[in-house]
Amino acid sequence: MTERSFLWNDQPIAFRDGESIAAALAAANVRDLGPDLLGQPARYFCGIGACQACLVSVDGVLREACLTPARAGLAITPAGARHV
Amino acid sequence: MFDRDVVVVGGGPAGIAAATALSQRGFDVELVDQRAQLGGAIYRQPIAGARPVKQSRFAARRWQHLHAAIQHAAVTYRFSSVFVGVDGHGNTLIEDRNQGRLVSVRARAVVIAVGAVEKVIPRPGWDLPGVVTAGGLQVMMKETGTAPQGRVLLAGNGPLLIAVAAQMAALGNAPVAIIESGNPMAINGNGLGLLPHAELLADALGYLSGIVRHRISWRRGTELIALDRAGSQLAAELRHADGRRETLLIDQVALHDGIRSNNFGLPADQAGTTTMPFITRAGDCREALGAIASQLDGMRAAADVAAYLSRKPNDAAASLDGIARQRAAQAVLATMFAPIAGPPRLTALPDETIVCRCERRRLQDLKLLLGGTGALSGREIKHNGRFTMGACQGRFCADNSARIACELNPGSPLVASDLTGSRWPVRPLPISALLGDEPAHHDQSARDQ
Amino acid sequence: MVSTSSLSVIIIGCGIVGASTAYFLARAGVQVEILDAIEPAAQATGSADGAVSVASKRPGPVMNAALAGIALYRELAVQGLFEGAFKSRSTFVLASSPVEREVLEAHAAVLRSVGVRVEMLTSTDLRARFAPLSDAVIMGLEVFDEGHAIGYQIVHRLLSAAPVNVRRNCRVESFLRDGNGRVTGVVTNHGPMLADAVVVASGNGSADLLGIPDVLIARKGQLLVTERAPALNAAMPGAIMSGRYLISKGMQAGTALASDRGYGTVVDPLATGQFLIGGTREDSGEKATNDAEAVAEVLRRAVEMVPGLAGVRLLRAFAGIRTAVIDSKPLIGRVPDADNVYVATGFEGDGICLGPVTGKAISQLVLDRSVDLDLAPFSPARFAQLGVAA
Ligand SMILES: Cc1cc2nc3c(=O)[nH]c(=O)nc-3n(C[C@H](O)[C@@H](O)[C@H](O)COP(=O)(O)OP(=O)(O)OC[C@H]3O[C@@H](n4cnc5c(N)ncnc54)[C@H](O)[C@@H]3O)c2cc1C
Ligand SMILES: Cc1cc2nc3c(=O)[nH]c(=O)nc-3n(C[C@H](O)[C@H](O)[C@H](O)COP(=O)(O)OP(=O)(O)OC[C@H]3O[C@@H](n4cnc5c(N)ncnc54)[C@H](O)[C@@H]3O)c2cc1C
Ligand code: FES
Repeated sequence: MTERSFLWNDQPIAFRDGESIAAALAAANVRDLGPDLLGQPARYFCGIGACQACLVSVDGVLREACLTPARAGLAITPAGARHV
Repeated sequence: MFDRDVVVVGGGPAGIAAATALSQRGFDVELVDQRAQLGGAIYRQPIAGARPVKQSRFAARRWQHLHAAIQHAAVTYRFSSVFVGVDGHGNTLIEDRNQGRLVSVRARAVVIAVGAVEKVIPRPGWDLPGVVTAGGLQVMMKETGTAPQGRVLLAGNGPLLIAVAAQMAALGNAPVAIIESGNPMAINGNGLGLLPHAELLADALGYLSGIVRHRISWRRGTELIALDRAGSQLAAELRHADGRRETLLIDQVALHDGIRSNNFGLPADQAGTTTMPFITRAGDCREALGAIASQLDGMRAAADVAAYLSRKPNDAAASLDGIARQRAAQAVLATMFAPIAGPPRLTALPDETIVCRCERRRLQDLKLLLGGTGALSGREIKHNGRFTMGACQGRFCADNSARIACELNPGSPLVASDLTGSRWPVRPLPISALLGDEPAHHDQSARDQ
Repeated sequence: MVSTSSLSVIIIGCGIVGASTAYFLARAGVQVEILDAIEPAAQATGSADGAVSVASKRPGPVMNAALAGIALYRELAVQGLFEGAFKSRSTFVLASSPVEREVLEAHAAVLRSVGVRVEMLTSTDLRARFAPLSDAVIMGLEVFDEGHAIGYQIVHRLLSAAPVNVRRNCRVESFLRDGNGRVTGVVTNHGPMLADAVVVASGNGSADLLGIPDVLIARKGQLLVTERAPALNAAMPGAIMSGRYLISKGMQAGTALASDRGYGTVVDPLATGQFLIGGTREDSGEKATNDAEAVAEVLRRAVEMVPGLAGVRLLRAFAGIRTAVIDSKPLIGRVPDADNVYVATGFEGDGICLGPVTGKAISQLVLDRSVDLDLAPFSPARFAQLGVAA
């Protein structure tokens, strides 16, 4: 893992400073953000925090991928994959 | 007793205009935005080093003025923070993600300028990954300075589709086509109504010339009627004006059927009391009339708040004229872009079409619910059908559910707010934040505003 | 006596009590019309928790009625009417302090004495059955054969299953009477309406209709619903209630733990994978609003018992107003000064549990049949001022 990357399902994803998690995943061609809390595939949709369809687990906290700036070392997984 | 004179929620044109004007009048203003930067939907800022997206000259100039003015004002910022409502004791509640906790602010006045959301009419498959809103696609482009990858289709209704297409093309990946249910180019004189609105006309012509230059296929009078997975791609089924069907294979599709105010769950506009703040919505969140009107409405809100706080007469009149002009311009655009097949009938969609994605509720569920005991109220539809009950709190299904209910029971008309009501939290709120021990996500990029 | 098919009854209020009464009357062939000032489940019924439970009750008439209430839920679930809307589960009452442990031990004995199946669980037992519980919990009491039902869902089931006409936005202002003073119907904001009998099931609105403002007390409660958390939800074998809840319900008068907000923690894992978390019991009927202070306190207490909830998001907060009676027993029966007017209200925090069984009892009264439930302790006649003449 480089300094400028986070983990998505244990895979390193590179990002640029200031970019949202959603933008970095899109640049890496990740469109299916994995099972959400209902088991359906999450995805980037509205880009403004409104639809809640891009919800992912960021270091164990549920966050909108479109609102959350990427940071080095974050461990990000689908919302529905959490062990809660 | 009070922590602040004014909390302004939203750093788009409405919030910036309101915060600037109030600060200039000497009030103590805190501006809250969920993102780490000012800009809002239309002026989403590029990350460092990203190529700015093509924007009209007028829009660029408006942003420069707005930004310069607020930089000279003494506004306190709270970024990466989500406004979740005003509680029954009059506290303004903000999930501050930098601090990792819910912050409760006692403000004399609150300006809520949380913008618009896009309307998306349900179609089979609209809930799949790879399906985004056109605005969602656009703000990501603005943020990253790069076009979305692969074969992209834009579909729906309205001028935003052309703007997005031109911006994509300028960044090197023009859309496969624009599927537009209206036909704004029909020679019936509608467009002449835009003539008095020089800025909008210039915007429109600028984007149109982009479409022509990049030879983007703008299929007017055409509808996207269904989406389906096709291997790693999506199959988009189109219906042309003459009834002909066509299927396109694409990687992403961006939908857009207009915008509406993002006023879900918000506290009502109200005069202040000893415990409750004065509350006013501003910008597209009050009435979705676009960026020019939003900026003016931010000034109007500032005038209303100032009149309340200083007990002086209100000087909002100048803004109101301008807002009325924008309302007229939007009406012209709506007529120009009216779907040629008439307003879509949602009850004619296939029964299994998802209406509420958060709770996976389908058209047939709503038909079943409303077929029984006759007309139900919005609240009953919500409770018993779970429509608008999910995490988006109705932002993408309340309008559509209400419309379906109206189609089924024309005698008892409903609107979105009949389903969604008004209550906090207006967005899902991590319980850890309420307990004050949410992991903090400090955000360096917020510093330089 | 009139034959039931020509009997017409107006029910004032479409909460769970009115809807249940209507269901049983309509099934017996009576012409029923429910008038509601707002709409079905608009008040307490639409903003209740929904424990169908005796776990927090003391022996006595309300406990007996609640046991009959649970049995009826079970029966109607088997019959299909409440299938999928009644979730059968245990209630786990938990102690986090020696004081609460004492309260619980005494309470277990009391519940057993009236035939309720209970089991004391040590902290080790609990850990084995109930992984998500925190170490702060020192013992528990499992109360078996209880359940949960969501008020508005039950109302919807009842209304969909019987031919009942519901008039929304129809507020009853007074009773209509003939020259002899006999009640012949009601006066509404849409004009007079005639009926052979009238049932007042109007929650807090009953106070004005029956002239008993000093008998009924409004008691606000705040409740929370979370987003889905499927794994955590599945790991909870039942609802939990803190020992402190018993105290807030006034079980241990004089114990200093109950605050003015009447916090008492209840966490119910819902069938959807969500959680319903309560709540408060506030002596106020003013505003059905939520405040961050109470919401945070309710959640803090819930997380104290189930730490995993901290990782879940709060989706909705709401508040409802319970209708309590000053002597803590509901009012169910015929109104003393009218032979064709009945009242059923004042269920405080038990009306979801008691609604169907009460509706059945009122229907039997109206039809002049023998009544399953012992209504004597709930007789409206115990308050002299109660009547239609007000
Ligand atoms: C995705 C999208 C793209 C758009 N693109 C264009 C365009 O290119 N050209 C155009 O003319 N119009 C566009 N619009 C229309 C847009 O609404 C403009 O008219 C204009 O941006 C409205 O200004 P505003 O200040 O009212 O709201 P916005 O500009 O939307 O600003 C609202 C601000 O509030 C913040 N916010 C929202 N909810 C919360 C919350 N709960 N807590 C804290 N902060 C919050 C948002 O982050 C945002 O910064 C777009 C709309 C959308 C939804
Ligand atoms: C926060 C909270 C938690 C609760 N938790 C539980 C629980 O866990 N378990 C449990 O069993 N119970 C619980 N309850 C209690 C339960 O909700 C109530 O006891 C029950 O819903 C009462 O039902 P009702 O039909 O008597 O009254 P309501 O539901 O209040 O219905 C009365 C109806 O009458 C209408 N009305 C009033 N006046 C008039 C008029 N003049 N004309 C026409 N219509 C009128 C109103 O609009 C309303 O719809 C809780 C209540 C609250 C508030
Ligand atoms: S994409 Fe809609 S909330 Fe993130």
